[in-house]
Amino acid sequence: MIDSLDPIPAENIFRLDPKRRQAIPYFSAQVQAGFPSPADNIIETSLNLQDLCVAHPDCTYFVKATGESMLGDYIFPGSILVVDSAIPIEMGNVVVCWLNGDCCVKRFLRVGKMIILEPSNENYSPIYVHKDRDTFRVLGVVTYVVSKPPRYVRPD
Amino acid sequence: MYALIDANCFYCSVERSFNPALEGKPVIVLSNRDGCVVARSNEAKDLGINMGQPFFQLAELRKQHDIAVFSSNYALYGDTSARLMSLLTHFAEDVEVYSIDEAFLLVEGFECLYPSYQDLGEIIRAKIDQWLRIPVSIGFGPTKTLAKIANRLAKKTPEHNGVCVLDTPEKIDESLKNFPVNEIWGVGRQSARKLECFDIKTADQLRKVPIDWIRQMMTVNGVRLVYELQGHPCKLLEVGQKPKKSFCTEPGFHRVTTDLAMIEDALTAHLSRVCEKLRRQNSLAGCLTVYLKTNRYRKTATGLPDKQHNPSRTIVLPHPTNNVLDMIHYAVGALNEIYAPDYHYQKVGIMLTDLVSADYRETNLFTAGLDEKRLKLSNAVDKLNQRFGSNKLRLASQQHNPEWPMQFQYLSKRCTTRWSEILEAK
Repeated sequence: MIDSLDPIPAENIFRLDPKRRQAIPYFSAQVQAGFPSPADNIIETSLNLQDLCVAHPDCTYFVKATGESMLGDYIFPGSILVVDSAIPIEMGNVVVCWLNGDCCVKRFLRVGKMIILEPSNENYSPIYVHKDRDTFRVLGVVTYVVSKPPRYVRPD
Repeated sequence: MYALIDANCFYCSVERSFNPALEGKPVIVLSNRDGCVVARSNEAKDLGINMGQPFFQLAELRKQHDIAVFSSNYALYGDTSARLMSLLTHFAEDVEVYSIDEAFLLVEGFECLYPSYQDLGEIIRAKIDQWLRIPVSIGFGPTKTLAKIANRLAKKTPEHNGVCVLDTPEKIDESLKNFPVNEIWGVGRQSARKLECFDIKTADQLRKVPIDWIRQMMTVNGVRLVYELQGHPCKLLEVGQKPKKSFCTEPGFHRVTTDLAMIEDALTAHLSRVCEKLRRQNSLAGCLTVYLKTNRYRKTATGLPDKQHNPSRTIVLPHPTNNVLDMIHYAVGALNEIYAPDYHYQKVGIMLTDLVSADYRETNLFTAGLDEKRLKLSNAVDKLNQRFGSNKLRLASQQHNPEWPMQFQYLSKRCTTRWSEILEAK
């Protein structure tokens, strides 16, 4: 084994998967002796929501939010959360996790050795996770929230 | 250097990965129709639950212990397996998917990236745990057979912590000394018994036998095995799937039946499914076998063994095909011929053999070749079913009696393949 000062972390090594590659149109009009379509130069592939929201397809889960504890982060009951388990969790990330078997979505804070799960709705109180008493497991970090716009109710 | 990565109690671990409350509890997964146990967590093994044990025998044990029971959730296990295999390509270029939960990796050429194989193993374990929440065991060895042995040791010996590296002659000597011959990959029960007669009980003893002798005993496979144990690779990585040579399906009925209409219904459904698989592989089948099975263990009301009838009929098709419409006529005809009333049938099976590539065409005086229109039709049906869910578009003779399909009483949510069943978070 050769010692290396700066090993590349395993998660940064990727194999290119040609199946996931998308074809990009090159020329849409045949070139004839006349004037070519000026739009040909700037033709791009069409957009795909998956490309925007899902960075790691093998590590991404879709989870439905049910409660109102995270309204402050635009997470409404029925919102679909895009959860990525490959991203390292940082202070302040919104995470989906299991606390004593219950699946919840909360803001992840670390104070000293203590983990705090903080809701973003002031009507809910934060949850303190005790390492020795509670079982705690993170599914992943919420990277996108997909919601329908709220139904319009006309104020009286 | 080869590595074998294997998920521990895969089905149970997948159930746990979406429900951590099951951690530390006995978990079992049942076979089709919830018949018998096909996977057990370590806690369930400790309770004395055996592989393949019929589920009804566990009623008493379930009263005493809090055992989590699941039907086989193939959608979930299949999806997790696909994710696992795809993620393994982060660590090595060549990955051979050996089974739903095992893969061989050729880990050469990455020496500069990881300080040691032990390190690489630990990184893989930690990353798979983070990404999929599934525990894996990893064995490294200079050949596939030795990697398999290392994997076994990694799983069995807690001190290894899930990673076992056999990279030096000393380590290999040490571990082969006590490794029983019948647990070596590729040694079946028969070969093990034969070797035992000659007092060959450990892998180390097998490694030292004369090549000519083993060739006589176990043919060329035995020779390969001995070379592999000596550290000379004979079995290479098989990347890319080999096409299957036959397709077979025989899920049983929920309850035994005598009803021909229901058997026909099930046969149509099985046939459409295997034809779909055939098309996915781009093959045509030239030969079709239909068989019926009664339940060997069934007793009549008087306690006597039930009468048995296990007929089969094979039909050579006029032209190889992968179209249900071309085959159904022959399949139902064969069924009608072998069906005898008054027997209690447990399953109807269908087997397609004589597979040829999808572009095979042959015309002669009596056969006009394939109906190209029908081929296009079945491709269209496949596409629609892929989009709207399997069996959305089907033959009219299929499923007019919904009683026979597989029963899953303890199915967990298919949370990675169905929008309606995804996880919910408060």
